[in-house]
Amino acid sequence: MKARISALIDDQLERREAARFLDELRAEGEVRDTWRAYHLIGDAMRDTRMLSAGFAARVAAKLALEPTVMAPSRIASAPPRPRWHLLSAAASLAAVALVGWVAFGLQEGAPQVAQVAPPTAPVPSLTAQVPPPESANDYLYAHQGYSPRNSLQGVAPYVRTVSGEAGTRKR
Amino acid sequence: MIRALGFAMLMCCGLAQAQTQGQSAAEAMTLLRRIYQATEKLSFTGTFVYQQGERTETSRITRLAGPGGAVERVEVLDGMPREIVRTRDTVRCYLPESQTVKVERRTDARAFPAMLPEQISDLARNYTITRGETVRIAGFDCEAVVLTPKDNLRYGYTLWADVNSGMLLKARTFNHKGETVEQFSFAQLAIGNVPRDRVKTRHLAQNWRVEDAAVAPANLGRSGWTVGAELPGFRKIIEVTRRLSAARPAGQMVYSDGMAAVSVFIEPTAGRAEALRPGPSSLGAFHIYTREVANHIVTVVGEAPAASVQRIADTVEFRRPQ
Repeated sequence: MKARISALIDDQLERREAARFLDELRAEGEVRDTWRAYHLIGDAMRDTRMLSAGFAARVAAKLALEPTVMAPSRIASAPPRPRWHLLSAAASLAAVALVGWVAFGLQEGAPQVAQVAPPTAPVPSLTAQVPPPESANDYLYAHQGYSPRNSLQGVAPYVRTVSGEAGTRKR
Repeated sequence: MIRALGFAMLMCCGLAQAQTQGQSAAEAMTLLRRIYQATEKLSFTGTFVYQQGERTETSRITRLAGPGGAVERVEVLDGMPREIVRTRDTVRCYLPESQTVKVERRTDARAFPAMLPEQISDLARNYTITRGETVRIAGFDCEAVVLTPKDNLRYGYTLWADVNSGMLLKARTFNHKGETVEQFSFAQLAIGNVPRDRVKTRHLAQNWRVEDAAVAPANLGRSGWTVGAELPGFRKIIEVTRRLSAARPAGQMVYSDGMAAVSVFIEPTAGRAEALRPGPSSLGAFHIYTREVANHIVTVVGEAPAASVQRIADTVEFRRPQ
């Protein structure tokens, strides 16, 4: 067992065996404790900055609390799953994330672990907003003269271009 | 026999429905035309509320129609005092706190053109025009017309007008989610004769600083500036050189679909005090996009969704003229 852990850390396990072993690692128990201990020893030997005690457990707990975003679409007809199912899904995600993080820190490009893609929630593409130009009112006012709203509403739409807000006024 | 009768009835129903829809679309278009005509012809005085996000401002507006064109005056009653007076060919904006009057004269003979009937019909290319519900606003029975955009490059509008005169009492701009972007609504309105002094500024403005926009027709394309791909439904309506404030020369191109408009401003980077902050921003109901192109600052400002403003900004190009 310990030899296998060592081999996995050193990236010397065969792909299929590594996958099976990672499955075992997902369950809490002796295997996982040993895995953690080995990393701790490695970190101490390389003089890596230590993480506080129980760091991994806290990360896992926080991950478990996160909403499990699996896919944007909802499967309406699926039977309601028991709660423990969800929890175990979150826990295994946490374990995979942890393994990925640890292995990545140890060696460049640990292939089988790095291939486990992190769960990606659909992120809308937002271009970062910048503050409006200080002279924004000058632009709005110059624009208003040609707005087709003038022929619909007369001079009324001008009020929106000459703001009374001090923050946007020219000093 | 019965089946044939049923079929005939079905046909009649379908036909009647199509006819009703056609009628309602035609009615909506007629109402829209009436609103434009009323804006051009009526004299009135009233108070309206402008709402945009958290901002609510009350303004007093007076319009005196006449054979040579109308004179209008609007005075914002909340916050920083400001007043705008528009005559047939000049707009003056009075800012008493900074003792400044901004003057913009029209150089082209068309002055401030009213929408031509065919331009109003053109709106149906980009908007589905339908009738809305009849409501009462500021004591007037109003009928509504709704302009629903056919794509997401523009906003939608609901306009409420007095059944008798066609006078626009309320205008609401809404986005693709149906949320209000901005709204104008009369709280009080009197249609009819207006004394001439009601459209004159109440400021003497004798020793005020005058900022003349010095608007002149121009061909920016000849100097190398182009907007690569025009936004569907939008076309260039004007191209000028002007001053934005006291000493800031700029080029301006305006694109419009008949309801929405987007302006492209081009200024030399040299001699500008303000730091350039490229990217999208917004102010009130307007979206702004700033870019630097060939040592010039390109600022695109529009009463249109942010994506439309950015799309126009992204296609602004400079090619050294041959």
